[in-house]
Amino acid sequence: MARQFEGKLERLDGNRWRIPRDASRGMRVDGIIYSSDELIKDVVAGGGLDQVANVATLPGIVGASLAMPDIHWGYGFCIGGVAAMDIDAGGVISPGGVGYDINCGVRLLTSDLHADDVRPRMETLTNQVFRDVPCGVGVGGPYTFSGGEISRLLNEGMKYLHHRGLASDEDLAATESAGSIGGADVSAVSMEARKRGGDQCGTLGSGNHFAEIQYVDQVYDAAAAAAMGLEQGRVTVMIHSGSRGLGHQVCGDYLKTMQSVPKRYGIDLPDRQLVCAPFDAPEAQQYLAAMRAAANFAWCNRQLLAEQIRKAFSHFFGKSAAQLGMAQVYDVAHNIAKVETYEINGKMRRLCVHRKGATRAFGPGSPDLPDRYRDLGQPVLIPGDMGRASHVLLGTAEAMRQSFGSTCHGAGRVLSRGEAIRKSAGRRIDKELAAMGVIAKSRSREGLAEEQPAAYKDVDDVVNCVAAAGISHKVARLRPMGVIKG
Amino acid sequence: MSKHCETFEHTADVGLKASADTLGELFEALAEGLADFICRREQVKTKETITIEARGDDIEALAVEFLWKIMDTIQTNRKAVAAVRVMKIEPNLVHAQVDCEPLNPARHETGTEVKAVTYHMLEVREVEGRWAGQVLLDI
Repeated sequence: MARQFEGKLERLDGNRWRIPRDASRGMRVDGIIYSSDELIKDVVAGGGLDQVANVATLPGIVGASLAMPDIHWGYGFCIGGVAAMDIDAGGVISPGGVGYDINCGVRLLTSDLHADDVRPRMETLTNQVFRDVPCGVGVGGPYTFSGGEISRLLNEGMKYLHHRGLASDEDLAATESAGSIGGADVSAVSMEARKRGGDQCGTLGSGNHFAEIQYVDQVYDAAAAAAMGLEQGRVTVMIHSGSRGLGHQVCGDYLKTMQSVPKRYGIDLPDRQLVCAPFDAPEAQQYLAAMRAAANFAWCNRQLLAEQIRKAFSHFFGKSAAQLGMAQVYDVAHNIAKVETYEINGKMRRLCVHRKGATRAFGPGSPDLPDRYRDLGQPVLIPGDMGRASHVLLGTAEAMRQSFGSTCHGAGRVLSRGEAIRKSAGRRIDKELAAMGVIAKSRSREGLAEEQPAAYKDVDDVVNCVAAAGISHKVARLRPMGVIKG
Repeated sequence: MSKHCETFEHTADVGLKASADTLGELFEALAEGLADFICRREQVKTKETITIEARGDDIEALAVEFLWKIMDTIQTNRKAVAAVRVMKIEPNLVHAQVDCEPLNPARHETGTEVKAVTYHMLEVREVEGRWAGQVLLDI
């Protein structure tokens, strides 16, 4: 079980807390946790604080070991963590700093549909999506790729799907890294991992993954919302999924093969799940190539999920997806490691930024943003729970200064799956959600109970904290109307 | 002869805790516990028997490798598992037979997919003549 944090935790300001650098436990930098006074109790109870301190011991870490308000206990690294390592000063890369579900992330589509027109038909529309989108255990997708095809998909990401006519220029432009991260190498991905992914591209999975039909219920920045196609009342579709079995296997493979690596480079670790290698070491480069391949797979997965949802809508409404205006707002990764450049002590440094349960949030003017968002900042997609809300934010210049262009990734769990199931004994979660105006469908026996709204922090609190801290800017809130889960 | 497996809770994830008279039975209990978690065994009919083999550097790593194979049998090869029999077990090697049938989501009651069998809180040990073990699953 997560043990109580026994180190020092001090309040830095209204939205940040600090674990001061403690040389006796090998910390090279402070730990900084974004949290409001209201959320800090859940943060402490969540068991991630020791992990924030442990990550601060890793070679090459700069700034601080960061955690977002949706922090909770993870494997080695906490969920909701950001750690940036200076590549040219012995900085490391760690598979545990990315997690098992490489490039788990979120995609948002908008539409020209209005909530009031869709709501009366929500049950049948949700059923249509539930029928058409593969989800749950043992369900394959309609897309299968041969060995050669999967190699290209892993190396090229969404560029390959574009070549196959399964992704548009606009889809690519509205995806982080254009859905195709360079330096991926399929030869670093085991045959077992490739086999696991062969027919899973375009499948949702289960657990906290979902596809959700929503509407824009509140607009905080009208100009930014309009630029994203998110006017009040518009119907949107949010997809939360990752790299499926392929990515899980890549992480498992490298956690295993890297066990003996830290010792080889004289790295002493407080937890074996922090296994890592200096960025330029061959072991690190091999993991990086495989992780990038899995990240490409995840972007393709969300692309094919979006394609199937567009088809489901098209079938249901008798119009093409283009006629329904189902354009992609954006797609973000929230489990990934990337090479980015930041100014550290007055010098530009190449950093390996680990985001594990944290979202990139680049501010306005970043050359990595597509033209349509360059002056606004990067869209950030924050899924909440299936009863309350999700949010659309923008990255800020402050995030570039404070948090290596990063922010939170979701609501963060507060109840274990067992507690959630016990609390739902004798209740019908689907009926309760229906009373809240949400049609929810799940394939697994306990999916809705495990994922009930009370299992999560209120995403509004999490988002208000990162907005108050200045690392994100609120644009719009989305409310669920129909949810499908594995 | 007795073996037992139950789940325990851990933040967002789930663990398996098992005990048995022999090491082989302990592996069977953990494997069947994992199978039950993903797809309840009581509804599964045995239509085929497949053989799996796993290797590990030590007994705990062997348990993790073995459970990854069981997970793959269900989630990648799409077999609903009825029973697991360990035929041979050595410190670095395990052979087992798995009674199963093709997984049919329309008929089999499935739970939540497992992303990984982790090394966290991993334990396999002999206590007073009985074997005990636990693993944590990433969900």
